[in-house]
Amino acid sequence: MAQATWEKSAQSSANQVRSKSSDRWKFMLGGILILGVAIYLIVANTVGGARYFITVDELLGDPSYIGETVRISGAVIGESITYDTSDPAKPVIEFSISHIDPDAPDLALALHESVKNPTLNRLAIRVENQAMPDLLQNEAQAILSGYMGEDGVFHANELLLKCPSRFEEAQPDQSIAGEA
Amino acid sequence: MIAEIGILSLMLTVGVSIYSVIACLWGAYTHRQALIESGRTAALLTSPLLFITLGVLLVGLVGGAYQITYVHQVTDPNTPLFYRITALWGSQQGSLIFWSFTMSLFTSGAILSNWRTHTELMPFATAVMMTTLAFFVGLSLFLENPFERYWILANNVVVQEAFIPSQSIAPELDRLAQTASGLNPLLRHFGMIIHPPMLYLGFVGFIVPYAFAIAALASGNLSTDWIKITRQWTLWAWLFLSLGLLLGGRWAYDVLGWGGYWGWDPVENAAFLPWLMGTAFLHSVMVQERRGMLKKWNMFLIISTFTSVIFGTFATRSGLIDSVHSFARSPIGVPMFLFWAGMMLVSSILLVIRWNRGELEDEQPFRWAFNREMMFVLNNIVFMILFFAIFWGSFGAPIASELTSGVEISLGSQYFNGVTAPFFGLMYVLMGIAPLTAWGCSTLTHLQKDLLIPLILTLIALVGAWFLGATTPASLLGYGLVFLAGFVTLYMVYKDARSRQVARQETFSRSLWKTFVRGRRRYGGFIVHLGIVVIGLGVIGSTLFQYETQRTLQLGETLDVQDYQMTFERLDSGQIAEDGRVMDIATLTLSKGDQAFESLRPRRDLFQQSDGSFMPMTIASARSTLAHDFYVLLVGWEELSPDRATFKVYVNPLINLVWWGGMILMLGTILSVWNPTTAPKRASITKPVKPSAGVTTA
Repeated sequence: MAQATWEKSAQSSANQVRSKSSDRWKFMLGGILILGVAIYLIVANTVGGARYFITVDELLGDPSYIGETVRISGAVIGESITYDTSDPAKPVIEFSISHIDPDAPDLALALHESVKNPTLNRLAIRVENQAMPDLLQNEAQAILSGYMGEDGVFHANELLLKCPSRFEEAQPDQSIAGEA
Repeated sequence: MIAEIGILSLMLTVGVSIYSVIACLWGAYTHRQALIESGRTAALLTSPLLFITLGVLLVGLVGGAYQITYVHQVTDPNTPLFYRITALWGSQQGSLIFWSFTMSLFTSGAILSNWRTHTELMPFATAVMMTTLAFFVGLSLFLENPFERYWILANNVVVQEAFIPSQSIAPELDRLAQTASGLNPLLRHFGMIIHPPMLYLGFVGFIVPYAFAIAALASGNLSTDWIKITRQWTLWAWLFLSLGLLLGGRWAYDVLGWGGYWGWDPVENAAFLPWLMGTAFLHSVMVQERRGMLKKWNMFLIISTFTSVIFGTFATRSGLIDSVHSFARSPIGVPMFLFWAGMMLVSSILLVIRWNRGELEDEQPFRWAFNREMMFVLNNIVFMILFFAIFWGSFGAPIASELTSGVEISLGSQYFNGVTAPFFGLMYVLMGIAPLTAWGCSTLTHLQKDLLIPLILTLIALVGAWFLGATTPASLLGYGLVFLAGFVTLYMVYKDARSRQVARQETFSRSLWKTFVRGRRRYGGFIVHLGIVVIGLGVIGSTLFQYETQRTLQLGETLDVQDYQMTFERLDSGQIAEDGRVMDIATLTLSKGDQAFESLRPRRDLFQQSDGSFMPMTIASARSTLAHDFYVLLVGWEELSPDRATFKVYVNPLINLVWWGGMILMLGTILSVWNPTTAPKRASITKPVKPSAGVTTA
C-alpha cells in the first residue's frame, strides 16, 4: 500500500537512534500544555457552574441563600400543581415541594411520608416557559435549579423529576392484605 | 414452586461459581490438571443454571404469578405479553439477574474458545470471571432476590420474604392482581426495551479482557497474548456499549419530550465513562501489538475500564448520587463499593508487583518523535482528560464537596459542555492526523502533503456549510474539525485502493472491494471513524442550531415555525388502546408554502395505576428528514378542550445524523470484529506481529 514507501519496519525503527532530547521536551511541553488547559477548564467551569445542592430546610433556614442560584430537592405535593397557559408565550407551572431527608434509606417511603406530614417545611415553586412534565405528580421527587426570591417563592429554571424506572418500594403495599 | 426453583438455581450458581474459583486457583497452585478441569466444568454450569433462573422468572411474569413481588411490581393483568417479557429487566432485581446471565454467557464463551490454547492463563482468568459472577449472583440471592413473595402474617401485616414465614398465608390471587403495578409506561418504548440489555452486554463484556489481564499478571505470562486473545471480546463489549448508549439517547429523545438526547445526567455519564476508557484501550493496545510498548499503560486501562463499570454501577444503584434516573437506594451499595475497592486493591497489587520486578518493560524504548505511537499517546491523553472531567463533574465534585463542607454541589450541562467541547474537538484533530502518520517515524513533510487534499475538501465543505447557515465561529470551527477527520478517512481509503489499482492494473471498484476484504480490521476502524464524524455533524447541528417554540392553538389555527406552517386540525380525546391506556390524539397538518407534507399526530397517553390515578405520558410526533426533525409535543394538561391545545415544537437540525452515525459505527465495528486473522483460535500465535504496510485502527 501507499504507506509502505515511508513506513518503517519494527526492526529498522528499533535500530534507530534514540529520540533527540529536544524532541522529547517538545512533546512533554505539549502534553503539559494540554493538561494545563484541561485543569484550567475543569477548575473554571467547576467554580462557575457549581450549584449548592441543598434541602428545603437548609434553604428556608439560611437567608443568605436568597438570590443565590442553588439546586434543591423535595417531594412534590400533588394537589398544589397548577399549569397556567393563559399567556401562551409564557406558560407557568406552580406547585409546592416538601422537605425530604436526603439520607433516608427508603426514598419511596420518605417521599410518601413527607407529603403526608403537614408539619414539614414546604416551599412554593414557580417554573416559567416550560412544558408540563409527565412525571410532575404527587410524591415525585423534584430536583430544581434556580433561586429563592424575596417573595418566598423558588424560581426554577431547571426542573428534573425522578424517572420511576427501577423505582422500588422497600415496604410492601399493605393493601394487598385486603380487608382485615 | 416457581420461586423455589429460581432460588435453588441461584444458590447452585453461587455454589458452583465459588467452587470454580477455588478449584481453578488451587489446581493452578498445585499443578493438578484434573482439579482445574473440574473448575472449568463448574464455570460452564453457571450459564444453564442462570438460564433456568431467568426462565422461571419469565414463566412467573408471563403467567401472572403476582405473589412474587417482582412480578407484582412490573406487570399487571393488562400488560401485553411483549412487555411481560421485557419486564425481565424492568426493575433492579430482574436487571441484576439479567446482568449475571449475560456475564455467564461471556465467561462461558471465553472459556470454551480459549481453554485448550491458553492453559497457563485460563485457570486464573476463569477464577476472576467466576469471582465476579459469584458476587453478582450473591447480590441477587441475599439482597435483591427477585423471587421474594408476599405473605400475610397473623396480625394481617404484609411482608415480602423468599421463604414462607411461620404462621403466615399467601395473599389472595385476585387481590394481588388488582394491586399489581404494571410496567412503568416510560419503559414501553423500543429504545428502552433494547437499551438495557445492550448496555449490560457492553458492561459485562469487559470482564473478559479484564480477567485475562489479571490472569497475565497472576501467571506471569506478560506477553501480548492476553491482548490478542481478548481483542474480539473487547470489540464486542465496546459495540454493545456503544449501541446501549445510542439507544438510551434515542429513548430519551422520543419519550422524555425535551427535544434532546443527552443530558449529562450521572447515570448516563456512568455508562459513558467505561466507553471512554474502553475506546482509549482499543487504540492503545495497537501500540503494544505492533511495537511491544505501553504494556503497563494497557494494564492500567483495562483494569480501569472494568472497575469503572463496577464503580458506575455502584454509584448509580446505591443512591450515592441524585439523578433523574430513579434507582432505589438499594442495600447493594455497600457490598458493591467493597467489591469495587477489592478489585482495585488486588489489581493494583498485582500490577505493582510485576512492575517492580521489571516484567512489564516495553520491548523497545518509546520514541519521542512525530509518529503513530505518539498520536496514540495523545489520543489516550485526550480520552483520559474527558474521563476525568466527566468523572469529576458527575461524582468527584459532589462527593468531595459533601465530605469537605457538608453541602453537596452539583454541576450541570454548562460545566460538561464547557470542559468537554475543546477536547472532543482535539479528538477530531487527532482523528484527522493520526491515520496519516507512520509507526516508528513520520515527517511533517509527508503529513503536509497528505493533508493537502483533505484540507481543500474541508474548506469547500465549510463554504457550503456557511451558505446553509452555519456562520458562527463555533459552528465553523466544529464543522471544520469534523469535516477534516472525515475527509482524511475517506482520502486514506481512496489512497489505499488507488495504490492497489495501479499495482494490480484492475478497476478501481474492484481494488476498493479487495482492499476492504483484505483489511477488514483496518477499514472497519475507518468506518468507525466515519461513524464518529457523522455523529459529530449531528451533535453540532442539533446543539448549536436547535429552535423551539410553544403556542396554544385554536382549532384550524396555523403556527409559522421557520419555513413550515403547522395547522391544528383535530383533537380526538379519550381513545382507548388495546392495552387499556387512554389516548388524546391531536392531528396537525404540516406544510411549506402550498405544499402539505403530512399529518403529525402528537398524543398524550394516560396509564391507569393500581391506585386508580392516571400517569400521563407525552408521545411526540415528528417529521424526520436528514436535514432536520420537526418534533411536536401535545403539552396541554388535564383540561384539554376539543378546540384548543398547546403544542411545543422543536426543529432539530441534523439530529438524524446522530442515529445514522451510530449505525455506521456499528457496521464498522462488526466489520472489524469479523476478521478471521484475529480470531481467538489463532490468537495464541506468539511470534511478533510483522508490521505491514498500512496501519490498523480500532
